[in-house]
Amino acid sequence: MLQGKQEPRQITMNLERLPNEEKLSLCRKYYLGGFAFLPFLWLVNVVWFFREAFVKPAYTEQLQIKTYVKRSALGLLLWVAVLTTWITIFQHFRAEWGEVGDYLSFTIPLGIP
Amino acid sequence: MNASDSDDDSYTERSALVPSENPVVPSYRPDPDLDAAGDTVRRAGPAAAAADGGGGGGGGSDPEVDADDEELTLKYGAKHVIMLFVPVTLCMVVVVATIKSVSFYTEKTDQQLIYTPFTENTASVGRRLLNSVLNTIIMISVIVVMTIFLVVLYKYRCYKFIHGWLILSSLMLLFWFSFMYLGQVFKTYNLAVDYPTVGVIIWNFGAVGMICIHWKGPLQLQQAYLILISALMALVFIKYLPEWSAWVILGAISVYDLVAVLSPKGPLRMLVETAQERNEPIFPALIYSSAMMWTVGMASPADYQLTESERFQVCSRCVPGVLQVCLSAGGVKLGLGDFIFYSVLVGKAAATGGDWNTTLACFVAILIGLCLTLLLLAIFKKALPALPISITFGLVFYFSTDFLVQPFMDNLAAHQFYI
Repeated sequence: MLQGKQEPRQITMNLERLPNEEKLSLCRKYYLGGFAFLPFLWLVNVVWFFREAFVKPAYTEQLQIKTYVKRSALGLLLWVAVLTTWITIFQHFRAEWGEVGDYLSFTIPLGIP
Repeated sequence: MNASDSDDDSYTERSALVPSENPVVPSYRPDPDLDAAGDTVRRAGPAAAAADGGGGGGGGSDPEVDADDEELTLKYGAKHVIMLFVPVTLCMVVVVATIKSVSFYTEKTDQQLIYTPFTENTASVGRRLLNSVLNTIIMISVIVVMTIFLVVLYKYRCYKFIHGWLILSSLMLLFWFSFMYLGQVFKTYNLAVDYPTVGVIIWNFGAVGMICIHWKGPLQLQQAYLILISALMALVFIKYLPEWSAWVILGAISVYDLVAVLSPKGPLRMLVETAQERNEPIFPALIYSSAMMWTVGMASPADYQLTESERFQVCSRCVPGVLQVCLSAGGVKLGLGDFIFYSVLVGKAAATGGDWNTTLACFVAILIGLCLTLLLLAIFKKALPALPISITFGLVFYFSTDFLVQPFMDNLAAHQFYI
């Protein structure tokens, strides 16, 4: 009976059971959260809301959810590109950088580089 | 690492991590004494909607409830068992895989938890045994004290404190332990990794974990995270508990579980009863939920809360590993403490046992124990401890396989004698 204000926390999340405004709000929060250096959150957003945004028959909030999902995907791709580039550079040039390379390293492999 | 901080919360983490909020549907005992109508009025919103949707299911007349229960037990029993098998198996697989590949967790270390101050590096067997028993006594007393503390906090409604404690514990597990774990994995595979990358990985893993567990997230992700943190916790135990102490502690904690849940003055029992008096779900404990949502008899799509239709929900609280039947919306729940101790047993078998025979035997033993526990639960329909049967079987299988079956099979193989 108590809906609206009192938002019950569910242990298990089932998107099916949420009203559309809730879905939109959740999607938006995940999207905004991803800006805190959290590409993983964007990935979760995309995967989780993909069906909602693209497969389900249209409903009012779907358009906005679609935009959020698209933007999350975009942000994710950007992060993946940046990370891949950085990792490639690091792996390739680590030995040559000498001290700086060691300083940046979390683990240093043993043996011949 | 003295691990004092981490293990300060080690026990409470078990009772801590997951959804800070209570399950939507409170545990409902199919007890003829409870007034169904009264319950409906007193319960909070979700349950009220649930009772509506449940209709004949939860709030029906008592004979109906009983008959329904019987049917449900049979119908959904097997499904529940399978639903629990998968996550328990996954957790054990992660632990065993780590133990076998990353040597860090099996390396002998002189560091011990502050809860097990007596060393096992003693000259005589008797002394070693004595030390392990003393370690166990200390560990169990710590656990008892913490449980009682938690029960007291709950009784006096210090929810904020409990909530904060849970968040702190999960923060530590998700960030610090996974950081250590990642470092060890990289070292094992001799990879060069830089701080920025590691930073991003750990930050993402931890932050999304916190969001999924304490707020809202997709179910499978939440399950995956719970499995992972149980595995991490189990690995820490395997690393820092001395050999013999670990086995004695496993035995002792099963006994404690039995006592705490079944005896009238047991802290867990008091917890369960307090929660039921208040008609609240039991306080946020580590709960794994395999969810869901078989939409049998579900009300309209607008009804977004978990409907308390005729489904069984097996809830196992971790703090002592209470197994309780909750008549509420589908799925199976198991406390993370149970995951952790099962994994500790199998992990230790993998680390110190002869070979895969021992590990497999323990694994099978635990699953059998789990089945039996669920069976008993379906029969008795009241709060039951989840640890004793599985751990007992596990211990029996471990020692018999390691000391009897293994040499037997080795001998047979050596003499090329096939039976």
